[in-house]
Amino acid sequence: MEIREERRDAIFIVAPVGRVDSNTSSALEAVVLAHAREARLLVDLSGIEYISSAGLRVFLMLARRVKEAGGRLVLCGMGASVRQVFDLAGFTALFAVETSVEQSLLRLSP
Amino acid sequence: MKPEEEAPDARAVRHLGSLLEVSKALAVQVELDPLLTVILNKATEVMEAERSTIFMHDDKLRVLRSHLSGQIKRDAMHLHLGVGIAGHVAQTLALLNVSDAYADPRFNPRFDKETGFRTRNILCAPLLSQDGRLLGVIQLLNKRGSAAFSTDDETLLLAFASIAGVAVDRARLVAAVVESKRIEESLRLAHDIQMGMLTRRFPTGGVRMHAVLEPARGVGGDFYDLLEQDGRVWFAVGDVSGKGMGAALFMAITLTLFRASTESAEGPAEVLGRMNRALSRDNERAMFVTAFVALLDLATGKVSYANGGHNPPYVLRATGGLELLANADCPALGVLEEARYANSELTLEPGDGMLLYTDGVTEAQAPDESFYGIERLEALLRTLALKTPAECVESVVGAVSSFAAGAPPADDLTVLALRRPEA
Repeated sequence: MEIREERRDAIFIVAPVGRVDSNTSSALEAVVLAHAREARLLVDLSGIEYISSAGLRVFLMLARRVKEAGGRLVLCGMGASVRQVFDLAGFTALFAVETSVEQSLLRLSP
Repeated sequence: MKPEEEAPDARAVRHLGSLLEVSKALAVQVELDPLLTVILNKATEVMEAERSTIFMHDDKLRVLRSHLSGQIKRDAMHLHLGVGIAGHVAQTLALLNVSDAYADPRFNPRFDKETGFRTRNILCAPLLSQDGRLLGVIQLLNKRGSAAFSTDDETLLLAFASIAGVAVDRARLVAAVVESKRIEESLRLAHDIQMGMLTRRFPTGGVRMHAVLEPARGVGGDFYDLLEQDGRVWFAVGDVSGKGMGAALFMAITLTLFRASTESAEGPAEVLGRMNRALSRDNERAMFVTAFVALLDLATGKVSYANGGHNPPYVLRATGGLELLANADCPALGVLEEARYANSELTLEPGDGMLLYTDGVTEAQAPDESFYGIERLEALLRTLALKTPAECVESVVGAVSSFAAGAPPADDLTVLALRRPEA
């Protein structure tokens, strides 16, 4: 798994690419939690081909940390299989979800 | 006769004898701590020094730690690489012979001040593993009866250090093997404890049931359970996020909560609600559990069920029909303390069955990385209409195993099947 990081204006974008399973989730956890104090955080999931329950847990932790720090988190670019995993666990409603990076940037703009 | 006056040949023979003795002494000691003590004593004796110290290299912290050092307390000294005489040797990996310690700017007189010892001269060499990694540094202080260590002493110490390095390396390997055996042993014990928590007594009258749980790595986060209660049977399958020891501990809590929650509960939704509230409290690591809980009335075949984010199970009708019990969008347990769970109902006619599973089934991977998937599972289940629960479980586990074709399982796998007797 590769993790791209980028700052656009006041918004920090993290884009993991590849599989998020129990072997790679701790690497993702370390990267995204390091940015949990960003005021506006966007995670672009369009590069994720597979996510396991260990991967879901990373996003739950991230959502919790961002909320504690008073920031805002948006997830975008969920492919059908990733969306299915979020839906199945009943977690989709816990996140602000957008289709594209552009939509998310609009949503996160002040 | 003093050593300085000895003939070179006689000296070489004497040194060789000492080294052989050292080699023998070190060969019998495989434990690191006593080995270092033997090395120190032998070094002081063979090198004719007043005092010696071994500094062991800490790979992680990149510091040197004194092992034993004459009257100075054990582990009293920490040196950074590049600092002091020993630190310099650790950095350059080359022997250093200092004939006048106080004239050398790298020498740190602090330890002399603290101990009252007076360092005159120093001979210091790295201890290296066979593949050249730094294991530590051996440092000798004050050549007895002489103003400094000689070039002969340098040669002797290099030979000594190479024998000692091999012995230390071997002791570390032995320690690593012992440690991994210990971990393996405790993992096996944890596996036995976890498997021992799962019920193996399956009901036979009123309904037949069977279940199998295969952890991916010794211990895991899957669970199943069933409890008979006044003409009714509670049954559940669940999956803790992640795997290994952390998931196993959470699984044990979840299973205990399930058993406690079914007492006096009206139905599955109430059980999930109780479990969820307990699991959500103080859940720092955001662990979560997906769980399907159901309650079967043996007389009527009515099943009440609730699903907390788990893979929807199947109903296998006696007529050959296959039905998926779609989710009611209730979240997995442990995330939202205020989450609500809803009961749904279905009726199992005589001969109808159900199959519950965890994602170790659908997410099993073939060597080409393709997933077993829902389609294969459903195609298989359509062929199992009138099979016994044990046969159903065996078919699914067998199909997944042949699909994986020896590829190591990425996730724990659980299958639970049940069937009402035919009329």
